[in-house]
Amino acid sequence: MNGLTELILKIGKVDRRWIFIVLAIVVFIPILVPIGMPIRATVTTKVVYDTIENLPPNSNVLVSIEYSPSTKPENHPMAISILRHLFKNDHKVFVTCLWPDGQFMAQDALKQVAKEEFGKIYGEDYVLLGFRPGGEAVIKGIVSNIRKLYTVDVNQTKIDEIPMMEGIYKFSDFAFLFTVSAGFPGTVEWVQYASDPTGVPMSSGVTSIQVNEVMPYVQAGQMKGLLAGMPGAAEYEALIGQKGSATSGMDAQSIAHLVIVLFIILGNAAFFIERQRSRKY
Amino acid sequence: MIWKRQIPILIVAVVGAITLFGWFIDQPDIKSFVDDDATQWYDILASFAIILGALNLIKLQFQKVAKKKKGWPYSLFAIGGFFFAITAGFFIKSLDNTVVWGAHVTTEGTLSKWIFDYMFTPLSATMFSLLAFFVASASYRAFRIRNFEATLLLAAGIIIMVGRVPIGSMISSWFIMYISVLALGIGVNSWKKNKMITFGVVGIGIVIVTIAGFLTGWPIDQPGIFYLPILQEWIYFYPNVAGARAIMIGIGLGIFATSIRYILGIEKSYIGE
Repeated sequence: MNGLTELILKIGKVDRRWIFIVLAIVVFIPILVPIGMPIRATVTTKVVYDTIENLPPNSNVLVSIEYSPSTKPENHPMAISILRHLFKNDHKVFVTCLWPDGQFMAQDALKQVAKEEFGKIYGEDYVLLGFRPGGEAVIKGIVSNIRKLYTVDVNQTKIDEIPMMEGIYKFSDFAFLFTVSAGFPGTVEWVQYASDPTGVPMSSGVTSIQVNEVMPYVQAGQMKGLLAGMPGAAEYEALIGQKGSATSGMDAQSIAHLVIVLFIILGNAAFFIERQRSRKY
Repeated sequence: MIWKRQIPILIVAVVGAITLFGWFIDQPDIKSFVDDDATQWYDILASFAIILGALNLIKLQFQKVAKKKKGWPYSLFAIGGFFFAITAGFFIKSLDNTVVWGAHVTTEGTLSKWIFDYMFTPLSATMFSLLAFFVASASYRAFRIRNFEATLLLAAGIIIMVGRVPIGSMISSWFIMYISVLALGIGVNSWKKNKMITFGVVGIGIVIVTIAGFLTGWPIDQPGIFYLPILQEWIYFYPNVAGARAIMIGIGLGIFATSIRYILGIEKSYIGE
């Protein structure tokens, strides 16, 4: 018993570099040797899937990309899965970006899904309008008159010369909005300045850290579901039946979370033993 | 003085008031200003702000190098990176010259895209991924059961961490029930400080859980209140939303109060007062 107590106390004082090494190992191993844990779709993810599934064919869907390479492992699988779902159901996809890096991310996702997987035609099936600076003001601009804000697309082609832009003048010309967001400006601003005032339904995929901030809008019905962090992305991959990087990342995340919890428990055990000893003496 | 003080305050007051009241007045010109012109102005100003920000950044880095302040060699990298990016963005389109200006920033095969793919992406991904290690280390040291609030935070944190990931759905609700019985035992022991009562409570609890398990066939996700994925969803939907709403309302009121101060000319920090 004494040996166990001493071991717990030793772990309680362990140098943080040991924690880093243990965490690195438990993250690496499941990536190299996937375990294939079962993915259970949560209600919020199912609502996103059902909303897109129930859109009338050939709907105009606005997808806004607001993330950078730093959150790519969480956000990019969401963008990929949503685009796959939209193109599979033959919707027209319009992509805007509130973050400058978002344009690169959008281009990557569109190249992979629209061009290589579905063979869609640029300008007829999808268009990348690109980044404009201004945050909320850009959203307001899209709401009132998208053509004033975007006179050309990313390829510098005039908006009037893009076939699928015909009939698109303002936000309410879209049937649905999906934002992939990692912070400000992002999901919250889209709800406040676009979706809520116009009544155009929207959903979003956000990083885990943003879920707390966005959840009130989901619960209030202002947003149709939510993809919450990498688990949300993995759940969506399961729903569309096409596994990707989020699914393989979930094994590593599961084990890493479990190890962190284990460290917390051991840290607390050491804390209690020390406290009891200090009271004794 | 009038140009530096009164005129800016007047512009802020008038534009602020029109933008605010534009939401409540159904007049086409005011509506058009609020929805269209004001946002266009903001976009133009934001574009200029990016230029000013970049110039300010480079000025500060040059000053740091010139005065050899602490860490000045890092500033050399910042200056080098700045001019490298400027050159790639403004002077080099692409090797074959087929890409139009503007589109060259994100087109495959251009220097700008190369910088983004092979310098910016790995660097920012590395910085962000380091967070996982710091979070692990910090939570190990900071999550201590010091009082009731800290215990609640710890329990909610663990439920979210395990319940959100697939491994959480593999943990039976019956296992959580047994752990809850043991936790109840700890609570009773600290309250009554009587071993007999503690063993009695834990023993009865284990017997009740075991009998209930045999009667229901040990379904992994029943009863739902002890199943981690359902528990974490409940935490997200109710306690979390309640707290988030309170914060949002507070922030909203703060924004409203500050805006009114700007419109009335009470808040003048933007002119340096």
